[in-house]
Formats: sequence, C-alpha cells, structure tokens
Amino acid sequence: MQDLLDSALQRIQASATAEELEAVRVEVLGRKGVLAQLSKDMGKLTAEERAARGKFINTAKQSLEGAYEALKSRFESDALAKRLDSEWLDLTVPSSSAPLPATGPGSLHPITQIQWEIEDLFRSLGFSVLDGPEVETEHHNFDALNIPPDHPARDMQDTFWLEGHHLLRTHTSPVQVRGMEKLGPPLRMIAPGRVFRNESVDASHEHTFYQLEGMMIDRNVSVGNLTFFMKTLLSEIFKREVTVRLRPGFFPFVEPGFELDIECLICGGSGCPVCKQSGWVELLPCGLVNPHVLRMSGIDPNEWNGFAFGLGLTRLVMMRYAIDDIRWLQSGDLRFLRQF
Amino acid sequence: MKFSYSWIREFVPGLGSESGGVTAQSLERLITMKTAECEGIETAGALLSGAVVAKVLEVEPIEGFHNQKALVDAGPYGIKTVVCGASNCRAGITTVYVPLGLKKVSGVMSDGMLASAAELEINKDHGGILELDGTQPLPVSDHIIEIDNKSITHRPDLWGHYGMAREVAAITGKTLRDPIDLSLLPAPGGPVKVEIEDTHLCPRYSALVFENVTVQPSPLWLQARLTAIGLNPISNIVDLTNLIMAELAQPMHAFDRDKLVGETIWARPAREGEAMPALNGETYALTPSNMVIADASGPIAIAGVIGGRDSAISASTTTIVLESANFNASSVRKTSSSLKLRTDASMRFEKAQDPHNTVRALARALELLPLLSPGIRLVGGLADCGRELTAPAPVTLNLDWLARKLGRSLEASEVRQILESLEFGVTRPDAENFSVSIPSWRATKDVAMPDDLVEEVGRMIGYSSIPLASPLVLCKPSFDPPERDFLRTVKRHAVAQGLTEVSNYSFISEEEARRFGLAVEDHIRVLNPIAAGQELMRISLLPGIHRNIVENARHFDHFRLFEVGREIHKSPLSEHTHFMAAIFTKDDGRSALLELKRVAEGLAPGLRVRPAAPSAWEHPHRAAELWWQGRPLGRLSELHPKLVENGRAAVLDLDLDLLRELEPERAKYQPVRRFPTSAFDLSILTPERELAATLELEIRRFAGDLAEAVEYVTEFQGPPLAEGRKSVSFRVVAGAPDRTLSSAEITEVRTRIIEGLSGQGFELR
Repeated sequence: MQDLLDSALQRIQASATAEELEAVRVEVLGRKGVLAQLSKDMGKLTAEERAARGKFINTAKQSLEGAYEALKSRFESDALAKRLDSEWLDLTVPSSSAPLPATGPGSLHPITQIQWEIEDLFRSLGFSVLDGPEVETEHHNFDALNIPPDHPARDMQDTFWLEGHHLLRTHTSPVQVRGMEKLGPPLRMIAPGRVFRNESVDASHEHTFYQLEGMMIDRNVSVGNLTFFMKTLLSEIFKREVTVRLRPGFFPFVEPGFELDIECLICGGSGCPVCKQSGWVELLPCGLVNPHVLRMSGIDPNEWNGFAFGLGLTRLVMMRYAIDDIRWLQSGDLRFLRQF
Repeated sequence: MKFSYSWIREFVPGLGSESGGVTAQSLERLITMKTAECEGIETAGALLSGAVVAKVLEVEPIEGFHNQKALVDAGPYGIKTVVCGASNCRAGITTVYVPLGLKKVSGVMSDGMLASAAELEINKDHGGILELDGTQPLPVSDHIIEIDNKSITHRPDLWGHYGMAREVAAITGKTLRDPIDLSLLPAPGGPVKVEIEDTHLCPRYSALVFENVTVQPSPLWLQARLTAIGLNPISNIVDLTNLIMAELAQPMHAFDRDKLVGETIWARPAREGEAMPALNGETYALTPSNMVIADASGPIAIAGVIGGRDSAISASTTTIVLESANFNASSVRKTSSSLKLRTDASMRFEKAQDPHNTVRALARALELLPLLSPGIRLVGGLADCGRELTAPAPVTLNLDWLARKLGRSLEASEVRQILESLEFGVTRPDAENFSVSIPSWRATKDVAMPDDLVEEVGRMIGYSSIPLASPLVLCKPSFDPPERDFLRTVKRHAVAQGLTEVSNYSFISEEEARRFGLAVEDHIRVLNPIAAGQELMRISLLPGIHRNIVENARHFDHFRLFEVGREIHKSPLSEHTHFMAAIFTKDDGRSALLELKRVAEGLAPGLRVRPAAPSAWEHPHRAAELWWQGRPLGRLSELHPKLVENGRAAVLDLDLDLLRELEPERAKYQPVRRFPTSAFDLSILTPERELAATLELEIRRFAGDLAEAVEYVTEFQGPPLAEGRKSVSFRVVAGAPDRTLSSAEITEVRTRIIEGLSGQGFELR
C-alpha cells in the first residue's frame, strides 16, 4: 500500500504541466483512482484492519491532495506571471496615439456643486474662503472655541480621537480660529469642508459630512444684522424669499447663541409632515461671537465683535434634491452620482 | 429632561387659572422660543383621566378562559360588568376602574377595564390590578414636556422643575412660588461630623440624620410623578431624594446610618487601590482622581455619581443620613467618564450646581419626610461644612451697548423688569449703566459677563422684535487662498475628460492597508472607531477608489471616476491633497491607461512617464511613475488582476500639493518659421520592450538642430517581423529658421539618424 501511495505521489510531482497534473489527479484521486481501489475491499476486512486501512487512506488522501494543490497553485501563478508578462505595455508612447474615448462629460459630486455655489455667493459679498486641516488639535477644535476639557458641551459633538492627542475636527469652526489668528479684524470668512462625528450611520446620520461655517467680525455687529444677513443669504440659497426666526440655542463659542429656523418651504408655515406640523424647520446654529473666543484669537472684544454661523452642506444637498438616504453621498455609487 | 406641567404649575399657580391660563401646548412653544428647545409633549397616565376608585363586588370564572367576569361598583359610573385577567381580582378589593366602552372579551361583553399600576403609569408593576387601601386619592394624568438636554447644558438650574418654573413665571409674567421654607432647618451641629479634604472639589457638604424611619412604598402621587418624568419609584426614602433632585436640581443620597462605621463622614479623593461595590451591582476600582464619600471603613459613595451598595437603604433601615452636597463639575464629569457611569446625579453636577442649594433641599426633605414616613424623627442639628460662599461681583451693563448688541432700542424699565423677573439684582449707579448682581444658581458658570445678559434680555423681549438691518462693514478686499481655485480647475478638467467625482471616507481598515502594501504602522489610528474596518486614517486614496471600482463593476461595463481628497500622514503629521482617477474597462486596458495619461498631461503639460518597479497592488508590467519638472508627481498603473474581476482598471494618482507648487514652465517663444519644412518617416526595428520615449530621445540626439519635431506615429508587431521584435515609426520634421533645406541636407539629417541608431544596435526597416 505504501508503495502504491509513494508512486502516486511521485506521479503527481512529476507532472510538468497543468494538463498533465489534472490527468494524474483523475487517475490517483478520481473515482477509479488508487484511493478508491484501496477502499473497495474494505468490506472483507476485520474491524481492526478496517480501522487501520481507513486511517491509512485518510493520511494518503491528505498527502496526495496536498501535493496536488501545491503544484496546481504553482502552475497557476506561473501561468498568471506569464500572462501578465505578455501584457507588458509601453506607457511612454504619446497619449494621443490612443483613440479618443467615446464619452460625454463626467459630473461633479453634488456636495461640490452646492459648495461652489455657496462659496461664490459669499465671495460676491466680500468673504474669504478658507480651509484648515481635517486632523485638529484639541486646542483649535475645542479650547479656543470656549469648550474647555470636562465641559459638558463636548458631549454635543461625539469626537473621533486619534493617537498622538489629535482628533478629527467635529466642525469647521477651528478654521475660524485660524482665520482670526491669520487675518485679524475686520474679517469676513467662510470655512467649508469635511467634518467628522462619531455617530452610527443610518439613512439620516453620517459620521462624515460637509459643513460651512462663517463669521463676520467688524465694529458694532448686532443681532439685527445677523438676522438680516441670514435672511438675505438663505433667500439666495433657496432662490426665494424666506422667513427666518431666532430662538435661544446654546453653543459655547457664541453668546448669545441661537437656533435659526426658516418658515417651512413646503407648506409655507401652515404645518405639514416635513416641519412636523410646526410651520418651521430648524436650519442652522448661529450667534454673536463669544468675547472669550475673540480674545483667545488675539482680537480685542471691546473694539470688535461679530457673528458666526454654521451651515450643513450635506443637509442642503439632501434638501435640494430630496435625497432619501444620506449614505448615497459617500457611497461612490455612479448610479447615484451620475444624476447630478 | 422631562418636565411635568402640573409640577411646574405648583410653583406658578397662575398658569392654570381660568383667565390668562397657559396650556401645556402653548407653554411648550413659549419655552422653545425663550428658553430651551422642546422635543415634544406627551400625556402621562392617559388612562387616569376618567379612572375612578372602584370596589369589586363579585367575581366568577368564564368557562374555557383564564379570564374572570367581575361585577364592579364603579362609583359615578354605576355597577359595571368587566372581564379581567388579573389573578388578584377578587371580591371585596378596592381597585381602579377605567371606562373604555363595550367590548366583547372571552365571549362576555366587558364594559371598561380594571387597571394595573403599570397601565395607569403610576409605576412599573403589571403583576395584577392595582389594589388600594382606600385612603389615597388616585393620581391625575399630566402633560410631560421633554426638553433637549443639549439645549440646557449651560443651565444648572434648569435640571429641576423649580428652575424651569422660574423661567415660566418670567416668560408669562406670573408669580413664582418658592416651595422652600428654610426656617424648618435645625440649628448647626449634626450628630455626624463632616470632614472635607479639598473644598475646591467638594465646596459644600450638608446632611441631616433621621431615626424611626419606616421604609415602604411611596404614596401613589409620588410614584406617578416620578414615573411620568422617567424615574423608577423604589421606596419612600429613595423616591424622596429623586423627587427633590427633579424639583431643585440638587442630587441627594440617603445612607443607612447603622451600616456606617464611625461618627465621621469624609469627602476626600479615593486612595490608591480603593474599590467600592455600588448600588448598580458593579464594583468600581478607584484612583485619587475620583472624589469619594467615606466613613471610617472606606468609600461609601462615589461623590456626585453613585452610592455604595453596603450602606444602601433597605427594608430594615431605621436610621438614615440624608446627604445634600455640592461637588466640582469637572471632577464629577471626569470620574463619571472614566468609570463610564452616567447617572442622574452626575449629569446634574457636571453642569456646575449651586452650593447654596444643599440646605434648600434639606429643608424640603424636612417638610416632606413626615408625610412619606409617618413617625420619622430628626436627630440632632444640621451638619453643614464647606468653603465660604462668596457672591460674584456685579456685572456692569451699559444700556446703550446692550441696545447696539441687540440692534433695537430698549427702555431701561423694560430691561430692569426682565432681569428682575429672572431674579437678577438690578441697581442703577448712573444713567447709562445698570449694575447687575447674578443669582447664585446662574453664577456657577452660566452668567459672568455683560454678553450673557444680552442673551437674557434678548430672549425675553423676543428676537422677532428686533428689526432686520444690513451690517455696515469696513470695506476690505477678501483674501482668497489660491488652493481653492486650483482645486476647482482640477475637478473641472477631470469632469471635462468624462470622469465622475466620488467622495470616500477618510477611514480604512487594517486589512485594506495590508492588501495595498501599506504598512499598518504608518497610519494614524482612530482610538474610538465607529465600526470595525474604519480604524485607520487613509494615507492613500487607493483603498476607497478600489472599493468604488469593485462595487460599480457590478452595474457597469466601463466607467470613469475620480476623487480629490486628503491623505493623512503620521510622521510628520501632515495632510496631502491627492487626485486619484480610475477607468474600468473590459478591453485590453491600453486605451484606459493612455486616457489617464492624457488627463495627467492636461494638468501637467509635458510630464514624463518612467516605468517603475511595481507595487503589490499593481500589474507588474503596467506601472509607471510620472515626473514633472524633475519631481515625482504621481503614478499611472493598472490594478493587479487579483484586485479586479472581469475587467481591468487603470489608476492615476497625482500629488496636487506638488502640482500646485510647481509652476508650469514658461513657454519659450521662437519666431514663427517662414521657410517650409520637410517631413520623413522612419521605422525602427527594436526588441519588443524598447520604450518609445528612449527611441525618440535617440532620434533627437542624432538629428541635431535641423530636426524641428520628432513624433511617434505607430508601431507594429507580428509577421513578417521576428518573434520578440517590433517596428516603431516616427515622423521627423526637418527645417531651418533662415532657409529652405535642400534635399541633400534633408538626406543628411536622415542618414545621421540612421547611422546613429545603427551604432546603438537598432535597425531601420
């Protein structure tokens, strides 16, 4: 029996091509192969012999199959290497030597489109468009915005913490700090960009989304100025006259802080499912910049003040196109993206 | 945080009055507009409206069902037949009847129902119908207004009903009734001694001791009240502490006096190695950063967070120590987050509670305890220890400044009235200014500067009363960083080439990193990833783009996409904006690669392609580096077939930061040539892997100054050419700036090239 096994093993290993190997496999491991023969007369053996035979067959099967698989994968990788080698391409030939592709224009991501649109609107009002890093320090993301360590307001923004005492920015407000530090007053700036919150993803929540924060620092900026400005801006964004209202909201980097609601654009304020029958839709947080924040950025709050606000770009895209599931935006799915 | 409308009404009695009353619904709107965001309003104990105390007269079984038929004396509703499934339904008991209309149950017409305490929302007991002893009135249903916790993070006082009632009184102009009678407090000198090690971490510790306590269930009104706001009734003593916490925002704790060791209670940092079994069944290992309350044997409570198991109130308790203390907000928050234990107490303390409130809570307990535990007796006086409480300096509020901040003129009397209704103290040292003293419950961290008062006045006058006005700002050109416009150019270019923009996550998995040959340790790790597979910050856009390729290949035979995104590198910490484009096709892949090369050339005209050692993820014979102005700008390659099934994907990766930094070479103008040029073609026989770029360089080298252009035309392989050989054709354009070249000169150029190439081992065809 051992001889039978050894010779079968030798035959497998002697195969020079994949075809040969396959033929040997049928002969050795197939239904009429060596192993099949060994188990044929099992019925005539004593129980003891049968056990020994069974054990032998098992071991034999394992070693034969092992040898077969090893060789097979070697042949396969050789074949792949050979095929890939034959596919060598000279990429130094001019690109013009390839035919022009038959394709129409591609498309910009809907977030990009709305971001550019809003950037242009702000630029027309004399705002600078700034950006900062996505990986931030605790100082810029929290402390400089009047959210010290152990402040319960940190709960409002579930944070991704990174090794090395860094974090993923939870808002683009740190860019305001950087803007104030770099440009000084008077200042009109916006900071659009990608932000991160440690939240489970579902149809209406994402851990990665886009925001646009803005601020205006000047002399004698009032709540009335803020309301006027937001109304003007939102009327431009929604391309129709909107009605806004302010109500108290707590955000440590502003004082006083507001939640800004707009009168529901669907029902016009009479109440519908979109506004939960209230006639108003909560749209954005805003407020007068907290003097501590100004001071921490080197601006004298006795001379300067201003307002700040945050706009959810992702939210605006969802609203504008009535997108049913926020996850499409980061899906990379062209069935979705090509529609824009 | 849930607020009971009827509870608030106890402190603002005018709310319920016939004329000028305010319903729960309108109160919700007023609170939203002036104080904090309401998330909704709901009814607690809906079945209680209409319910009456009833007596069960007779009970008989219903054949074939486990339900029983009961005849009930439902007081004003008369005698009713009700089908009831509760096993404790028996003749003679007093229970609760709820009229529901006729309904056939178990074959019998049932007229209404008998209710359990859970159904009535008094507590969670649904083991049977509620049995009454006949002395207690039924609680009544209530409206519950839920406030978004995030909107009262800055308001320690709003974590209790009395604080909200103060707001409501100010909003509605009604009178606020203070439920606290401080004269009930005994003289100082408690039967327990209190020692505070650090009055910064524990500014105040007050306590009373009571004996002859009977621990029993609370009366129904108290159980219903706690249940309505989401707290569980436990026993009269525990319920009392919760009631006062929900009323005054002052967390309290009751210890079983007989289980404490010694006569002294310490408020101190935990000692290294101390641990405490807590009320919730967990045992917490403590460190000196955790404040504890301790007796002579060790910790009996984690300060401001949770009580200890061993000193807890039980049915056999007869003597209690009632703690009402104040703890440092930051310290409680740190302890609570390090132990991962948020409690109703820690949630309040971390908002910075008012130390003046400790004795108010004890006074309230003195009033209520005799009602909950008849016969209870106070032992000794008030234990009260802590640092001296100082009032903050008054804030000067300039009235003109206030009006400018808001953008509306204001009467001084209006401002005074608003501030006083919120219990700020107002004096007027001169015509322009108010001097405003801050009530202790607003002074812990909420109100400290005039800007905070802008909010108080603004919200009360109503922001809608402020006229809209355009800002008048200083004229100044805006500063725009050049990156923005550059990125727009790149994206527009890509779209014009037929590519669709995608956006991928900044996170990748360890497995993805390995698959693309990226060292896991080169990635910044997320300490608290939201999901498995998102634990590393991407140092390449490739894993995301690869996912896009695989997923879109299920729907499309060919597609083009790109992403502009940031790579986040670890050492040094830096972000690099990259452009990555991919084309998926089902053909031999050559055009896709050249198409991407054209995309790259559009952004970096004249870039050079150099074959490169392939990475693990690249087709080993289709990988190249892209160089521009002597710098490596990116990579052009095909993905390894292992990574893409049923097709091929060409990928282009460009470093946009570098691309922007490198200015395109300025064009060198040469006068337009006036003399005709001549062109001739050359076909060169070479080994099949000779690069076109090499051949072109050689031709230029030998052609000399008279060659104006050398252009690749085509190449050919196959019979009659020998195996392993190819023929590459170039067009050479010869000319001179000052004359038309003679045919002899042109031949000479051609000969020079041919001879030169021959010298290099190439043949001409």
